[in-house]
Amino acid sequence: MTQPLLSVRNLTIDYIGEEKDFRAVKDVSFDIAPGEVFGLAGESGCGKSTIAFAISRLHKPPALIRKESRILLDGRDVLSLDRQALSAFRWREVAMVFQSAMNSLNPVLRIETQFYDMLRTHKNMSRVEARERTAEMLTLVDIAPDRMRDYPHQFSGGMRQRIVIAICMALDPKLVVMDEPTTALDVVVQREILQRINELRRSFGFSVLFITHDLGLMVQFCDRIGIMLAGKLVEQNTAEAIYRTPKHDYTKKLWASFPSLHGGVLL
Amino acid sequence: MKNLLQNRKALIGLVIIAFIVFVAIAAPLLTQYDPAARTGRPHQAPSLDHILGTTRIGQDVFARLIYGARTSLAVGFGAGLLITLVGTALGIISGYRGGKTDEIISFFTNMVLVVPNLPLLLVLAAFIGQASPLVIALILGATSWAWGARVTRAETLSVKQKDFVKSAEMMGEPQWRIMTFEIFPNVISIVGINFIGSVIFAIITEATLEFLGLGDPRAISWGTMLYNAQKASALSVGAWWDILTPCFALAFLGIGMSLLNFAVDEIANPRLRTGNHLKRWSLLVRSGEGRL
Amino acid sequence: MAFLLRRLVFYMAAFIAAATTNFFLPRLMPGDPVQIMFSSAGTELPPESLQALKLTFGFVDGPLWQQYLTYLGSIFTGDLGRSIKYFPLPVTSVLGHALIWTVGLMGTATIVSFALGTFLGIVAAWRRGSKFDVVVSVGAIFATSVPAVVTSLIVLFIFGFTLGWFPNGYAADPSLDPAFSLQYIGSLAYHGILPMVTLCTVLIGGFTVTMRNNMINLLGEDYIVMARAKGLSDRHVMLWYAARNALLPTVSSLAIAIGTILGGSLVTEVVYNYPGLGNILYQAILARDYPVIQGQLLIMTATMLIANFIVDVSYVLLDPRLKGA
Repeated sequence: MTQPLLSVRNLTIDYIGEEKDFRAVKDVSFDIAPGEVFGLAGESGCGKSTIAFAISRLHKPPALIRKESRILLDGRDVLSLDRQALSAFRWREVAMVFQSAMNSLNPVLRIETQFYDMLRTHKNMSRVEARERTAEMLTLVDIAPDRMRDYPHQFSGGMRQRIVIAICMALDPKLVVMDEPTTALDVVVQREILQRINELRRSFGFSVLFITHDLGLMVQFCDRIGIMLAGKLVEQNTAEAIYRTPKHDYTKKLWASFPSLHGGVLL
Repeated sequence: MKNLLQNRKALIGLVIIAFIVFVAIAAPLLTQYDPAARTGRPHQAPSLDHILGTTRIGQDVFARLIYGARTSLAVGFGAGLLITLVGTALGIISGYRGGKTDEIISFFTNMVLVVPNLPLLLVLAAFIGQASPLVIALILGATSWAWGARVTRAETLSVKQKDFVKSAEMMGEPQWRIMTFEIFPNVISIVGINFIGSVIFAIITEATLEFLGLGDPRAISWGTMLYNAQKASALSVGAWWDILTPCFALAFLGIGMSLLNFAVDEIANPRLRTGNHLKRWSLLVRSGEGRL
Repeated sequence: MAFLLRRLVFYMAAFIAAATTNFFLPRLMPGDPVQIMFSSAGTELPPESLQALKLTFGFVDGPLWQQYLTYLGSIFTGDLGRSIKYFPLPVTSVLGHALIWTVGLMGTATIVSFALGTFLGIVAAWRRGSKFDVVVSVGAIFATSVPAVVTSLIVLFIFGFTLGWFPNGYAADPSLDPAFSLQYIGSLAYHGILPMVTLCTVLIGGFTVTMRNNMINLLGEDYIVMARAKGLSDRHVMLWYAARNALLPTVSSLAIAIGTILGGSLVTEVVYNYPGLGNILYQAILARDYPVIQGQLLIMTATMLIANFIVDVSYVLLDPRLKGA
């Protein structure tokens, strides 16, 4: 592809124990093009969340990103950013949506405050400017702007996830990482959220790293997909190819274990 | 258990406690003096004859210290055991049975919890008059179980949901059997923490009650040593050995037990550990092998 | 709101429980309850006064429930009887003066140690595994495991007697008359330092450990990770996302700790001869002044319940999830 937005090369991540180490991610390499939706599929514990965290360097000890790893965003070496540069990098270049929005929002702060602290840190906005931007973002995700002074517990699960997406959009990031964003929600809400993300993507042009264990969902939503097994990236291809002509044994197994509603064709 | 012995805090704590217990048991071998008898001149400073000096009445302080250890330890562990038994029983019963039983016991527990402990004990002791260490142990047991009951109940509630309990119920095991053989072994770490905490509490409170004059002044314990020394204005007349000896003894025992307490806490909840368990990690980062 | 109302009802019930304990204690002891209660008066009390005292405490002719109601009636009309040692001073005035000193000492010490202890706990948790954490945690262990009695005596010995930096007791210089003068207030402050230092030492460890553990328990939460992902400064995340949330369980443990704080302050007062409730209780026990002793239990219970209620209100103010409910 022409200059990729995100380039991950030889990513190896260990968890250092008192005596032994656990290799969570083994020499993983993939690219994401600008405006593309790239999916990472695999069962729990295969290392996909570990990769997601590594992109924004959110890991804490005992996690260790090995020295041969490379993560480049728009040509910038993410792994060598100093503290200040990293703070500026986070959210502005890469934003994240976590699995349970129930817990992603600080329960004791108002919604507007959770926008304000980020807007002030990155763009030095005043409260008035921040409120305008917050209203803009909330409208994008269909949440009434006059609710910005409410607390997270006053919203439903689906609404909270939409608020998190709104916070993600606020700085116009280039890449949005979504780690199982809809797993904790019911199917109807799931569909709405994914449609909304797609619309936003088309309007703003960001790329998406979409992580889930639900292969069927992924095939409908993503452009390209990578299959992970025990820390290794075992197959990487377009969604169409993964669906019609899976090459790796594990990918085939994943499809085989997938119950089909119509007893055959999925799409 | 092995974890406990590997934990540095636990080890130090256990050594301290073992040392004190040993000294208490070996008391007759360590001193030739009778702790209650007049064996020297009043308020003698520490000397070769009386290594920790004498009290106002001329008793050997060192002898009183090591014989007193027996009483303080006995009341501490005895009352601690009593408090733990009552608290655990009530906690498991109210947690497991739920419903009305739970409501009543919880209400009662919360009430006891909210009435200030020491003032209540003081009023009780005042009415009883001079309380011997045994009586003190009993009233401690009768009034201080509430915290343990609360904590045990919370733990029981989560264990109650587990599969092996449900299957025992479905097999028709009687409730008392379930509580004793299924629930109890699974809340044992909370019971252990509770026990250690109760012993610490009992030792401190017994000493405090006796210091305030509610114990039997003829008894020989660290608390009564404090009381008698205070009555003799030991600090003002400069007889620091008289009052500081029981002080340091109590502090020493308290620290030992607290170290053990924190160690058990850390083992039950490994996230709370202090100290560097990231040595290898730091080494790797420093040598450039990787980064966060 | 419903939450606070329920708490109030509960506190009222607890207060009545304390009063009930007072009622039954002399009646459960071997011997004549009237004898026990008023024996310290000897032959000094005129018969009418003795009669009035008996009435206050419910020692009237009639069935037990009638005696009980008489006693409750006295309490709720503010009649706690008269002190025998300081006859004819009413118990309420004896205790009233002392209460001010105790609230002053205990209140200030609690606020200072809570603020300091919580702060130390926050930093220790944030810098987990560092030397600071180890020093603070171990220091906290030592501070909490030494009984208040011992800490008071040792502090008094070192700073009062040996070094002579601070006075050895009393609330203020006994030769001064209480007044709003700078001299008197200065003396108050000077005399108050050692008891304050002692109490703070006794209390601070508990708050430190509680806050540290609460912080650590929530450092893995999603909202903490998201806060870091948002590029917020370390300090901001530590204070507004971690500490702000860890404050909630810490404040509720404050409520439970108040009983211990009361006990510790009691002992400190006795050692320093500070004219608070603790010292008065101590003197009353020596003199077997039962009306004061019983009044004591009620006042202390009431103090604790009020303190608990203040903590409840703070909790509601701090946790937005409770405001609406």
